[in-house]
Order: sequence, then C-alpha cells, then structure tokens
Amino acid sequence: MNNSSFPKKTALALTGLLLLLAAGCILWLILAKGPSDHCIAQIYQDGVLLESIDLSRVEAPYEFTVSGKGGASNTLRVTKDSIGIISANCPDRICVHQGFIRTPLLPITCLPNHLVIQLVPRDTVGPDATTY
Amino acid sequence: MSAKKLTLLALYTTLALSIYAVESAIPPLVPIPGIKLGFANIVTLFVLSRHSARDALWVLLARILLAGFLFGQGISMLYSLAGGILCLVIMSGMQALLRKHFLPLTSIFGALAHNIGQLLVAGLVLKSFYVISYLPYLMLSAMVTGLFTGLCALMVNRFISPHIKHLSSE
Repeated sequence: MNNSSFPKKTALALTGLLLLLAAGCILWLILAKGPSDHCIAQIYQDGVLLESIDLSRVEAPYEFTVSGKGGASNTLRVTKDSIGIISANCPDRICVHQGFIRTPLLPITCLPNHLVIQLVPRDTVGPDATTY
Repeated sequence: MSAKKLTLLALYTTLALSIYAVESAIPPLVPIPGIKLGFANIVTLFVLSRHSARDALWVLLARILLAGFLFGQGISMLYSLAGGILCLVIMSGMQALLRKHFLPLTSIFGALAHNIGQLLVAGLVLKSFYVISYLPYLMLSAMVTGLFTGLCALMVNRFISPHIKHLSSE
C-alpha cells in the first residue's frame, strides 16, 4: 500500500483534533461551576419558566407534580440544596434515574415530557425571579 | 435497483434493526439522555465502506422508519433522523478524506455528528438553551462509543467481508 492511498497524515491530524476536543471537553467539565451553596432551581416546560425555587431556603422537603401536554406528568421532590424527579410517566424514566442534583453542572432533562430543571447560582439571578 | 441489491440492502436493514432492538432492551448505562452505544451504526458504517453512501442512506432510513413504527415513541424518530443523517453525511465525507481507511476514526466523527444533531433537535424541542450543558458529556461518550463501533465495523470488514464478497459484486 503506497502513501498516496493511505492518508496517514490526514488521519494523524484528525486524531490530534479529536484529542484536542477531548481535552477541551474535560477542561470544560473541570472549569464548570462546582457545588454551590446557593442555587436557584428553574423549572422549564416547553421553554417556559414554570417555577423558580431558592433551594437554600427550603426548610422542609416537599413534593409537587408538573403536568404537561398529552398527559405528561413528572413528580418533583425538593429538599434543602437539592432537587430531583421521583416519578414520571415518560417511557424511559432517564429523568428519574438521574436522581437529585445540587450543582449547576448538569440539568435534569425529561425529553419526552419537555421538562428541564436547571440550577443556577443565586448571584446570577435577580431577586425578582425568585419565589420564596 | 436490481433484485439482488434490494435483497442485500433489506438484509442489512434487518441486521441493523435487530441490533437496534437488542440495544434498546439494554437499560441506559448512564442517567444522561442521548448517551447510547449506537451499535446499529456498525451496519451503516459497513454498508458505507463496502457499498456507497446512497446504499447506506437507504438502510439508515429504512431502519429508522421501521424502528419508529415498531418501538416508536413518536418524537424519538426525529432525534434518530437528525442524528443519523448528520452522522452519515460526516462519515461519508471522512471516508472520502481518508480514502476508506481508518474506519474507527470515521466512526468517531460520525458519532460526534450524531450527538450534535440530536442535541440540536433536543434544543429545538425543549426550546431550551440549557441542553448545551450536555455537550461535553455527549462528545466524550461519542468518542468512546464511536471508537467501539468503528472497531466492530473494522472486524466485520476484515473477517466477514471475504466470505460474502460475491454478494457485494455489482
């Protein structure tokens, strides 16, 4: 096999590109904001902000259900500094398996029910956006 | 399309659909939506490298449509289509660039494209920009699963292709 039919340089360049991308992703995850004591949980459905909860001010844990189009239903549990989906009627229940989140690193997403729960550090949210 | 070619592509589709069915029976490995093994892509990659991008597209579309009807969750077909087509476009570009060598490399780029396609659809469906938080996880998982499916396709090419050579001669 001669060099012209075996594009070694292209392959090396592409491998290098992949390594850079991997390093970039790892760096992103490391640099992303870690645990924060004061998080606001924002609950979005179909891009609409349904509720905004200051997790640091939750005194007693409580549960509530978010309903959406087509009978979609997710039950959320809120405790001090964490929030999670404890039951849902979506087919895969990935959102339930994700458990409770307490950092802004990864939102909980229920794709079938169009629900996103995102934590944001309190200092980036104005006081008006918060329900106590 | 000759009857022989049609039969061959139908067989590839059956294979891809079977792999897809088995894979969807495996519970999610990590609790992050969008991360999956993507073994059905072994077939797409194999058809792409042994036949042509057009044949691979037929097999891909047939597999996605049938999977949608058989195990469909409605919207999941949209994710599969966006991911699958973007993946195939990138993979055929890579195959041209790499002159059909380095299948695992092609497969990794395909997997990256697949996950980006799905993330774009998720962003549109959820109308949320926050899905971007999933990007680094999806990219890293695509590299691992893409490498694995690429190695599988390489093995198939090396060990099985010689035995079915007469099938691909058109």
